[in-house]
Amino acid sequence: MARSKPTDPPVDLLGPVQGEVSWFCCGTAWGPCSTTGRGACGTCNSGSLQHAWPNTSDACWAITRPDVCGDSLSRRTCGFRHQTTSLCGGASVITSIADCGPQTDLFCGERSCCGATCASNRLIDLTPAAYSRIASLSTGLRPCEISTA
Amino acid sequence: MTSRRQLLKSAVLGGGATVVAATAMGSLGAEAAFGAAAPQVEPGTPDPDFAEGRIRSIKDNTLLVLGSNLVFRSIRVVDGTSLWKLGPVGFDQAKPGDGLYARGVRMPDGVLAAESVWLNIINIKGHITNITSEKIHLDHHGKEILCHVVPGRSVAIHSDAPASADLSLLRVGQHVQILGAWRPDTNEADIATVFSPH
Amino acid sequence: MQGIVALQPYVIAAFLAWAAVLKLFSRRMRSQAGQTALARLVGPARAIPLLRLVGLAELAVAAALLLPPSSPWEGTAAEALSLGFLAYLGYTAVAAPASSCGCLGAHAQPVNVRGFARAGLLLTMSLAAIPAPPFRPDPPHLLLGLAEAVALLVLSPELDRHWLTPLRQLLVRLRKPLAVPDGREIPPEVSLRLLYRSPAYCTASARLTSDVQDVWEEDGLRFVSYAAGARTAVFAIPLSGGDPSAVRVALVEEPAPA
Repeated sequence: MARSKPTDPPVDLLGPVQGEVSWFCCGTAWGPCSTTGRGACGTCNSGSLQHAWPNTSDACWAITRPDVCGDSLSRRTCGFRHQTTSLCGGASVITSIADCGPQTDLFCGERSCCGATCASNRLIDLTPAAYSRIASLSTGLRPCEISTA
Repeated sequence: MTSRRQLLKSAVLGGGATVVAATAMGSLGAEAAFGAAAPQVEPGTPDPDFAEGRIRSIKDNTLLVLGSNLVFRSIRVVDGTSLWKLGPVGFDQAKPGDGLYARGVRMPDGVLAAESVWLNIINIKGHITNITSEKIHLDHHGKEILCHVVPGRSVAIHSDAPASADLSLLRVGQHVQILGAWRPDTNEADIATVFSPH
Repeated sequence: MQGIVALQPYVIAAFLAWAAVLKLFSRRMRSQAGQTALARLVGPARAIPLLRLVGLAELAVAAALLLPPSSPWEGTAAEALSLGFLAYLGYTAVAAPASSCGCLGAHAQPVNVRGFARAGLLLTMSLAAIPAPPFRPDPPHLLLGLAEAVALLVLSPELDRHWLTPLRQLLVRLRKPLAVPDGREIPPEVSLRLLYRSPAYCTASARLTSDVQDVWEEDGLRFVSYAAGARTAVFAIPLSGGDPSAVRVALVEEPAPA
């Protein structure tokens, strides 16, 4: 399959976008995380307010392909800031990009709901420090809104 | 049934003087609830109200944790602190060697007064390479993690369908997210929740 | 015996040619070359050119094995390639155990015992190919050739998705290892997920300051408590029915401990 650059207008360019948020570990020395390393930007830490974004580079895009799920996203590089707001209660956190992810195209069409509010497709992954600011780690996956900060 | 549970049960079922009306809760937005919280931490930097590492020792109600950055942190657990180890557990379930994430409030002396503690919690995504008796073999970044189904506890969630104890709809070869509890010093884990996209 | 020896160059050649084609023409290989152990060894920038060079070498050896005249040098060349593979796998297992080898294209599979066994089998076959006389096909030797080819394929983790995964899927369908017998208790997580869908949770979630403190069941209800600042939030969730709007919540001012 040819690697194609995003061609549709990115859905996050003009306003916030809704999707699913999960969490991942990086730089953690225990558990299955210990082989994961410090992420694509080399700075990722589970205890820092950081996140993974599906379009940090061409190589990243080739792995995540959010456009396959209908959500083309802007190119944002290491250090760029996003604000993630939980659709459950409104708590939000501002984080900076430290890694490539999530693998959106492997979970296309998946929906997560809080109350009657639902969102589809995994668009962002937060570190445990960031995710626990807006939801309990044991929830694993939540609907959210993502905007630039 | 402890007296605390009795108090809470009668409060939610019967109301009473100790109960704040639900409507009063609904009228407050998130801003009000978090208004007294610490100001936003600089993005990209470590969150002082969060701790991560492995428990080195436990003394009274304090966990001494060695972070992945090789810095020690003390975490104080109080009555209101929630502890998670594949589900809500008591303080006696915390053991040296457990991996830990904790969120709370950083005290002036550097101790973290914990509101929530999660022990050995992992959230891994990967392909199911095989399903054998009560076990899911997961390929996580090229390494196999053996995930154990715990009867009466493990559930599967297929997209936005209700959670179910029936995991038999999962397929070899599909991609899933598994939230569970790592078994220290192994490549194995116990499953709390399997998230399947379909 | 002579027939077995004579057969080896052809099986080796077929396998080398196939591996070479994947290295030279697979677009996926180009996109994933940076994650192989080869990239660790020579740097990501040189990984693709070097993979292509190895592919050309494999193609050259395969051609030499197939085309007349045959000479002992062909088997020696194949043996040298196999030794090189084994050394490379050894390096990978030590220096980059989570990386794929990039041996048969780009499907990311870390180096494991099967990879070593495959390289070992190729080495043995190459040694046998050195004195190889001209091959006269006859059914028993063709069957052996087929068996060797199947062994090489089975030892290739890159190919699992074509046969091993479907086989496992079939076994799972037949054996149902995760089937749930009737009458099992309802896991607490089922109630929590129902809670997250409830209007009661929507009104209260902004006030919650901890994860679940306590869970217990009584009278067909599951009670879940959270810290909510200085107070305690308690939810009552029906164990049967699955209606989110039936979940109740209260925010409780607990008396100070005596």
